[in-house]
Amino acid sequence: MNKTFAKDSKVFLSIYSILLLAYPREFRREYGPQMVLLLLDCQRDTRNRSARVRLWLHTLLDLFRTVPGEHLQNIRKETQFMSRIRTDLVAIGGCVLLIIIAMLLLNYGRSHQVSSILFFGYVLDAIAFTGIVGNLIVFLLVKLTRLRSLRVALWTFLIVSVVLLLAAIAIAGRVDPNFNATSVVIGYIVSFFFWYGLHWLWAQKLKPSEIT
Amino acid sequence: MFHILLALADKERHGYHIMREVEERTGGNVKLGPGTLYGSIKRMIGDGLIEELEERPAPDVDDERRRYYRLTDFGYRVASAEAQRLEHLVRSARAKKLLPRTKAG
Repeated sequence: MNKTFAKDSKVFLSIYSILLLAYPREFRREYGPQMVLLLLDCQRDTRNRSARVRLWLHTLLDLFRTVPGEHLQNIRKETQFMSRIRTDLVAIGGCVLLIIIAMLLLNYGRSHQVSSILFFGYVLDAIAFTGIVGNLIVFLLVKLTRLRSLRVALWTFLIVSVVLLLAAIAIAGRVDPNFNATSVVIGYIVSFFFWYGLHWLWAQKLKPSEIT
Repeated sequence: MFHILLALADKERHGYHIMREVEERTGGNVKLGPGTLYGSIKRMIGDGLIEELEERPAPDVDDERRRYYRLTDFGYRVASAEAQRLEHLVRSARAKKLLPRTKAG
């Protein structure tokens, strides 16, 4: 290999290292040194000048062809991230709003002795308690694991409803002489279907966007 | 992507080995440039098809900056499924006399 040949290769390698700045920063940091190493190996393999010029042209074309794709992917990833945050905020906000409405209604009914509200008191109670505990667990499990959200919601609300129901029967059943076990059971059954139904509807709503 | 899966099907390789393997297997028809190769590797790692080996080569054996990649179990299953799909297509093409019959078939 003559000296000019080796010098040209060095110059092209330096130019390529600078051109790598066109890639997104994350990609460049992760794979930039590997790409330079790959080019170095390829240059070492070429036997004559024309083969090396062909390699340089191929490498440059490859760079111009792949840079936009990597940027586009980055943009798509950011958009997906933002859209996921927006969806999460809407879901959390919706749950909080429903729990607040249930609690306000219950408070209003109790303080003003509104019979129509008190009639649904057990259901509202169950919706508020199951909603707070269940939704918190579902949110954490879905975010921290790769479990399917609808299945998580089904089992979480089932277990939370049973545990809260047993706790209510064990505690309130002893303290409150007017405790009505049947109404409490019905309240928790309705609350389970209410929350699981909402999660099911939410999953149906998200399905088309997940596909795209 | 299938070319890379195929290159990694028998053993772990680094980027340059993958590139050479693909080029040799396709008779020089598929030449992966650095951007195409590492862009694909990035996506395939993201999809769980391949993984990077944690061990680096010893400095006296190979350049220690090199990173080696291998198929994951999922990647192996995907490569196998794609190979079966292609085999099925070739069989159909042969049945319709688009390809010459093999001695065994």
